[in-house]
Amino acid sequence: MKKILVLLLLAGIALFVTAEGRKEAKKVEFPLEKPIRLVIPYAAGGGVDISARILSAVAPEILNQRIDVICMPGAGGQEGINFVLNQPSDGYTMLVTDYGPLITTALTEKVSYDLADWKPVFQITEVVPTFFVRSDSPIKTVDVWVKTLKEKPDSLSVAHGRYLSVPHLPLILFESIAGVKNVHVPTTGGSEALAYVLGKKVDIGASVPSTIASGIKAGDLTAIAVASSKRVPSLPNTPTLRETGYNVSLPAWYSILAYKGVPEDRLDFLHKKFTDAMNTSSAKSLAKQASVDITLFERPELQKIYDETIKNLREILKLIGKIK
Amino acid sequence: MELLITAITNAFSIEIILYTCLGVFLGVTVGAIPGLSGDMAIALLLPLVYKIAPGSSIGMLLGIYKGSMFGGSISAISFGVPGTAAAAATVEDGYAAKLAGHPNQALMTALYSSITGDVFSDLVLIFLSIPMASVALQFGPVEFFSLYVFSLMLISILTLGKISKGLASATIGLFIGAIGMDPLIGAPRYMFGINQLRSGIPMVPLLVGVFALPELIIQFAKEWEKIIARKMDEAVNRAAFLGYETSKDKMSFRIYLSTLKATMIGAGIGTFIGALPGAGSSLAAYISYGMAKKVSKQPENFGKGCLEGVAAPEAGNSATCGATFIPLFAFGIPGSATAALFGAALIMQGINPGPTMIAENTLIIYTLFVILIYANFINLGFGRALIPLYAKLSMIKSKFLVPAVFAIALLGTYASRNSMIDVWVVLIAGVLGILMRKNSFPPRTSRSGLHYRPGSGKILEASSPSRERGLDLSVKKPNCDPPISFLLGFYSVCLFYKPEKTYSHG
Repeated sequence: MKKILVLLLLAGIALFVTAEGRKEAKKVEFPLEKPIRLVIPYAAGGGVDISARILSAVAPEILNQRIDVICMPGAGGQEGINFVLNQPSDGYTMLVTDYGPLITTALTEKVSYDLADWKPVFQITEVVPTFFVRSDSPIKTVDVWVKTLKEKPDSLSVAHGRYLSVPHLPLILFESIAGVKNVHVPTTGGSEALAYVLGKKVDIGASVPSTIASGIKAGDLTAIAVASSKRVPSLPNTPTLRETGYNVSLPAWYSILAYKGVPEDRLDFLHKKFTDAMNTSSAKSLAKQASVDITLFERPELQKIYDETIKNLREILKLIGKIK
Repeated sequence: MELLITAITNAFSIEIILYTCLGVFLGVTVGAIPGLSGDMAIALLLPLVYKIAPGSSIGMLLGIYKGSMFGGSISAISFGVPGTAAAAATVEDGYAAKLAGHPNQALMTALYSSITGDVFSDLVLIFLSIPMASVALQFGPVEFFSLYVFSLMLISILTLGKISKGLASATIGLFIGAIGMDPLIGAPRYMFGINQLRSGIPMVPLLVGVFALPELIIQFAKEWEKIIARKMDEAVNRAAFLGYETSKDKMSFRIYLSTLKATMIGAGIGTFIGALPGAGSSLAAYISYGMAKKVSKQPENFGKGCLEGVAAPEAGNSATCGATFIPLFAFGIPGSATAALFGAALIMQGINPGPTMIAENTLIIYTLFVILIYANFINLGFGRALIPLYAKLSMIKSKFLVPAVFAIALLGTYASRNSMIDVWVVLIAGVLGILMRKNSFPPRTSRSGLHYRPGSGKILEASSPSRERGLDLSVKKPNCDPPISFLLGFYSVCLFYKPEKTYSHG
C-alpha cells in the first residue's frame, strides 16, 4: 500500500514539474500577456487624460492588446508615480504625464526616485503655455504689457494654474528677463484662471490653447503670446515670446515614460506601434476633434528633450530661489 | 424649431433610453455605496465614449450623475453613512427619520425633492445659462471668501446648544482642510513630513470615517452592554426587524406638498451654488439645509427626523446637477470635477464646450437637453422601485447592519482610488468622530464643520492676492466687486440675531 502511495506522489510531482516546464516554454509574447496600463498622475478629465485616451482608443487594434487608462491623482500625483515604479519592469505599466508631477516635484522635494530612472517612450502631444486677455483689454501686445508694468509696477495681475505649473514657469522666466513683476494669482487650474479673466477679476491669464480655444473662437479672448519656438497652429496670429524679443520657450510635452529595468526592445516595440497608431486616419481625426496636435519624435530625440527639460527647469527653479 | 423636433425624436431612440436607464441604475447603486462616487463611475466609463454612439454615451453618463446624486441619500438615510459627500447633510434628519420608524417617507421625500431640484436646475441651464453664467463670473476670490464665511456662520448657528461648539467644529474643519500643500507658495502645511498628504486629506474617506466608525463603536458598545446585562436564560429575539410597520410609513402627495417650500429653497440655492465654478454639491446641500431651517415654521424639529430637513439638502445637491454645466456650456469653464469629466466626454466627440458650442452643434446639444430632462424621470422610476427594498433593508437590527455597512464602506473607499491613504483616513477620521461625539460636540455640526475642507482651500486662495500686496485689501483692488461680498458679510452677521430665541437649549 505504501509503495503505491509513494509512486502516486512521485507521479504527481513529475506531472506538476512538466506542466510548469511547459508553461515556461510557451512564454507569452509581448504585449499579449495582459493589458497595458497607462497611469496618469492627474484627476480624470484633464488634458493628459484626453490625449492618452486618444491613444488608448486607436492603439489596441495595432497592438492586439487592450490599453487601460488609469487616473491616480493622490498625493499630488506621487501616488500614481510610485504605483508605476513599484510594478514589475515588464513594460506593461507606464506613466503618462507632463513634466510637472514627475520633474518639478522631484527637483523641489524629496521623492522616491531619480530623474535618470525614467525613460521617455513616446510623446503624444505638446502643449504650449499661452498668455491671453479679454478682447476688450488695453493690453493688446507683449510690448504694451511690459510698458504698462514699467510705468506702474505691480499694477497688473496674472492668473495662472497651480504654483510652479506649466503656465506659471514661463511667466516667471519672462518676468526675470523683462525685468518686470506682475501680481500672481494662483488658481486650481486653467479653467479657474479663465473664469477670473472673463469675470474681470484679473487682467491677464496664463494657460494652454485648449482651455481658451472656445473663448478665442467666440472672440471674447485674445492670445497675446505663446512660449514656444514656433507659432501654435490653432493660434496663427499669436507671436511667440521669442518674436517679441524675450527668449522664453517652455512647451510641455505629454509623454509616456517607463521606469528603469524594462528591456529596450520592448520599449522600441511600443514606440513603433504607438507611432503607427497615431499615424492612422482615425487617430488624426480624433486628435483634431479634441484639438490635440500630434507631435511625433524618435526615441533618441525624446531622450534629448527629456534631459533638456530637466536642465531648463533646474535653471528656472534656481532663479526663483526654490532650489540652490 | 425643426431642429428641436429632430432632437426630440433622436433623444427618444430606444438605444439612448436603454443606455440612460443603465446609467441611472449604475449611478444609484454606486451612489448608495459609501466610498464610491458617481465621478468615479463616470471616469471609469469614459472610454465607452469612443465605442458607442454620442447620444447614448451622454445619456449613460448623465444617468450615472443624476442617479448617484440621489443614491447617496439612500445610504445616508438608511444607514447614517452618506453614500456620497453631497449626501452628508441628508444624514442629519434622514437618519433620524429612519430611527423614528419612517425610512420610507424619508427616502421618498429625498427622491421627490431630488427630482424637483434637478428638473429646476436643468430648466435654468437650458433657458438661462448665459445670464446665470455671467453672474457666476462675478465671483472672484474675494466673493468666494465671503460665501464660505457666510456658510460657515450659517452652519455654526444651527447648533442646538452652544454656538461656540459649533464654531469650534467649523474651525476644526478648516484646520483639517489646511493640511496639504499651500496653493500660493507650495509650502507644505501641517504635513509633518508625510508626503502622502500633499493633496490634503481626501474628503470622501474623511466623511465615511467620521460617520461610520462612531456609529459602529456605539452599536458595539450597546451590544456589549446588553450581553453583559443579559442573563443566560433569555430567549434571543430572532426577529431581525425592529417592529417596523410599513403601513405607518407610507409616502403621500400631502407630504410632498408640505416639504415643497424646503425643496424649492434647496432647488434655488443648489442651482445658484452649482453655477459657481468651484463651489460644489455638498456646500449647496448644507446651505440649503441651513436656510430651510431658518425659514421653517418648526425649526426645532430639524435634527429629529423632520422631512423638511431631508427635502432641502437633497433638492440642494441635486440642483447642482444641471447647474454645474452652466459655466461649462457658457464659457467652456468646468466648474466641478464632474463638469470636467463631461467636458472631456464632449471633447472626445469633437464638441468644444464654450460660447460657440450650441451654435456649432445645435442638434446634438438639443438632444442632450432632452435627455437631461427625461433622465430625471428615469431616475424617479428607478427610485420608486428600489426604495421600498432599501427601506426594509435599513430596518435590520443594527448589530448586523452596522458592521456590514462599515465593511462595505471601507472596501468602497479603497476601490475608489486604489489608495491605502484613503483607508487610513477613514480609520483615523473615525477616531476623531468618536472623540467628538464623546465630548458632546453635537454630531451634526462636528461633521458639517469637517465639511469645509474644500472651502478652506478657497479661503487660502482668496486671501493670497491681498497677502501679496500687503495691506492693500480687497476694497482697494481695482477688480473687486464690493456689493456681493459686503452683502454676504452683512448677512453673516445678521444670522446671529435670531438664535437667542429659538435655540436656547443651553
